[in-house]
Amino acid sequence: MAPKESKKKGQYERQSPARESFRRFLRHRSAQVGLGILLVLVLIAIFAPLLAPYNPTQILKNEKRRDVPCIHLLGCPADKNEHIMGVDGNSRDLFSRVLYGSRLSLQIGLITISFAILIGGLIGAFAGYVGGWVDNLLMRLMDVLMAFPSLLLAIAIVTVLGTGLINALLAIGIVSIPRFARLVRASVLSTKELDYVAASRALGASPIRLLFQRILPNSITPLIVQGTLGIATAILDAAALSFLGLGAEPPRPEWGLMLGEEKNSVFNAPHLVFFPGIAIMLTVLSFNLVGDGLRDALDPRLRGKPVA
Amino acid sequence: MNKKILSSGLIALVVFSLALAACAPAAAPAAEPTKAPEAAAAFAPMKVEAPNCDYGGEFKSIEAVDENTVKFTLCYSDPGFPSKVAFSAFGIQDKDYMDANAGDSVAMSEKPNGTGPYRLVEWKKGDSIIFEANPDYWGEKAKVKNLVFRWSDQSAQRYLELNSGTVDGIDNPAPEDIVKLKEDKNFTVYDRSPMNIFYIGFNNKIAPFDNEKVRQAFAQAIDRKRIVEQYYPEGSTVAENFVPDLFNPGFSKDIKWYSYDKDAAKKLLEDAGFDFNQEIKLSFRNVVRGYLPSPDKVAQELQGQLAEIGVKVKLNEMESATFIDATAAGQEGFYLLGWSADYPDSTNFYDYHFANENNKQFGALFPDIAEPIKAAGKISDTAERQKLYDKVNELLKTHVPMIPVAHGGSATVFKAKVEGAHASPLTNEIFAVMNNGADQLVWMQNGEPASLWCSDETDGETLRGCEAMYDSLLAYKVGGVEVEPSLAEKYTSNADATEYVFNLRKGVKFTNGAALDANDVVSSFAAQWDAKSPNHKGRTGTFEYFGSFFGSFLNAPEKSAE
Repeated sequence: MAPKESKKKGQYERQSPARESFRRFLRHRSAQVGLGILLVLVLIAIFAPLLAPYNPTQILKNEKRRDVPCIHLLGCPADKNEHIMGVDGNSRDLFSRVLYGSRLSLQIGLITISFAILIGGLIGAFAGYVGGWVDNLLMRLMDVLMAFPSLLLAIAIVTVLGTGLINALLAIGIVSIPRFARLVRASVLSTKELDYVAASRALGASPIRLLFQRILPNSITPLIVQGTLGIATAILDAAALSFLGLGAEPPRPEWGLMLGEEKNSVFNAPHLVFFPGIAIMLTVLSFNLVGDGLRDALDPRLRGKPVA
Repeated sequence: MNKKILSSGLIALVVFSLALAACAPAAAPAAEPTKAPEAAAAFAPMKVEAPNCDYGGEFKSIEAVDENTVKFTLCYSDPGFPSKVAFSAFGIQDKDYMDANAGDSVAMSEKPNGTGPYRLVEWKKGDSIIFEANPDYWGEKAKVKNLVFRWSDQSAQRYLELNSGTVDGIDNPAPEDIVKLKEDKNFTVYDRSPMNIFYIGFNNKIAPFDNEKVRQAFAQAIDRKRIVEQYYPEGSTVAENFVPDLFNPGFSKDIKWYSYDKDAAKKLLEDAGFDFNQEIKLSFRNVVRGYLPSPDKVAQELQGQLAEIGVKVKLNEMESATFIDATAAGQEGFYLLGWSADYPDSTNFYDYHFANENNKQFGALFPDIAEPIKAAGKISDTAERQKLYDKVNELLKTHVPMIPVAHGGSATVFKAKVEGAHASPLTNEIFAVMNNGADQLVWMQNGEPASLWCSDETDGETLRGCEAMYDSLLAYKVGGVEVEPSLAEKYTSNADATEYVFNLRKGVKFTNGAALDANDVVSSFAAQWDAKSPNHKGRTGTFEYFGSFFGSFLNAPEKSAE
């Protein structure tokens, strides 16, 4: 188990599966693009207060509402204040708002999906391991949840709980649960019959230990892939809810809300919907590309084959 | 071969039935109204009277004293009565014509019969309405021979038609077009003086607004000028009083609202022991109104302005009906609301808001404000009323039950060569006084009129058409709100404004040739007032304006029937 030594001796190179997957992931063309965008987004989110020229909720009293972008480098007169993406309908700097929006969107994606994976994973693992009527009951429950179009169900939940960002997050989290529950259950069902699990059981391992130490690690791989793709959907759903006025409350710099607020001025001031829209698109795209790359990289059947 | 015959036969059938369908409606014969021979017969004066005043309406009786005199007896004093009867929904119709049509607005729109400066030539449904000047008009004849009404709900199209010269005037240009139009020498923009108020309301029973100092501080913390400049169309004004400046009596021109001073506001809040850590809920509905064109933007603007003095505001957007119910029930402490004038008299603004026990939107009434308002509603002397309203406005500034912010405006645009063009604050532009030097004046508004007899209409687009063809007892000054004589040459009232006597103009003729007499007036009002009248039909049967001006109908069906 000392690959460095074996390398020196000129013997065959041995790689751990994790390392090989990682190498494959890095070589994956679209994953590279996705990872690049994502990295930039994360950096923007972390350093938003340093990058943003203005406070995102501050009303700039001297600026004209819905003013067009003004960039000094591109010939905007120097006596005007620079607003790279223009000024929004409440005289706030759009660029600062879009930058701060990345914080919200990334948080929304990570929080909702963590919530969904945690709850969904436990439900799925329990149902799969115990089986019988428990399995039946839980899975029919998940089927019911899945029978609704996810956005409609989220809207229904928000309507009951009341509008607000936290409630919207909860709604999106709940809506995403069934996907993960089914995924984990499926992998638990197939794993629990394997010989090594039987061996472990024969050695006297407790059910909890069996489930968490022997069985669940096997479903990590699909969870990672599904989770990454799920973040993209969650961000999109959150933006849709905010667009409809059911998610983030004004004046929070949430991209979907920014779109919704300015949807009527799309002909007069297109930049106000263009930039938040592009931001949503890029974020969702990056998560989708990364998710795709992960799926290809983690697929054992593709192991050792050239990267697409 | 067979198929071919079949299909051609089918096509022929379809074409034939289409042709049938197209021809059918035109065949309906219109009943010619008989010319009323009433002038020759002895005049039998009409009188409609309520048995008592318990039914909940304003009218006690309407009576034709003689052929040219009508007397209204009211259940309570109403100095705003002349303003109300001048409204276009109270146009006067020939009694016989109304009886013949059983008060049906739709039937009466087919052949409108009025006394106004214009009369109908043709209503091309869905396209346009053509009027011609009434040669028998009692006043100054219309200046342009033909008047055409057209409509489009797209402000871009109205602008385009005006620009290409196919219409002479348009209503409600889009705010972004107004700038271009104002620079263009070929057009003149007429700002329509606003007849509404947007205010920020407080409930004096809900903390922290139970403290008068807090309300006064908020009054100084809000930059109203910026709100009007940024979020209101051309023609809007910053509100200094609760009523717009057209209201006389009512508007106190020497009383100005607090000036914007955020430092003073912050100091006042600190003195009042205001807790800056609390989050204040600002409730509003995201519904566009003439007094508030962009509610969500203004709400955020206020949130930002108050944040400058350290007050945290949470926005609470509510569903429209829920919001109205909650404010009226006194459940909201801090909210955005407004009011549009129904008739141009101050009682319409002050009484409903500050002297009305049923309205809990500001919490408990301020007795010192309510008292002069009630007193001003009972006298008809203008100067005396103004004195009382001055006192009201002074006290409103002291107690701050609300912060008056803006009077939202709109505009009309005409070709520069149109003489006499104007915009009316009541949206009843009078085309008879306009002259474009040609024999046709084309006007383009937002929508098609719903009918051409307006007793049961509320829509301004409809009322404007009726203004051209009918007259009420009184009229509003062209482009203004002051009341002028119209069908009534003069009117007198008793000292406590409960009796009004109108002396009708002589020699006024309806389009059908009938002469105007006092019975026409009585029957026109009775058709709206008396729910049992055979003419109480209208278009929808609600007679909304009558209800909001004069209270309940006579013989109204039991409420439980709903």
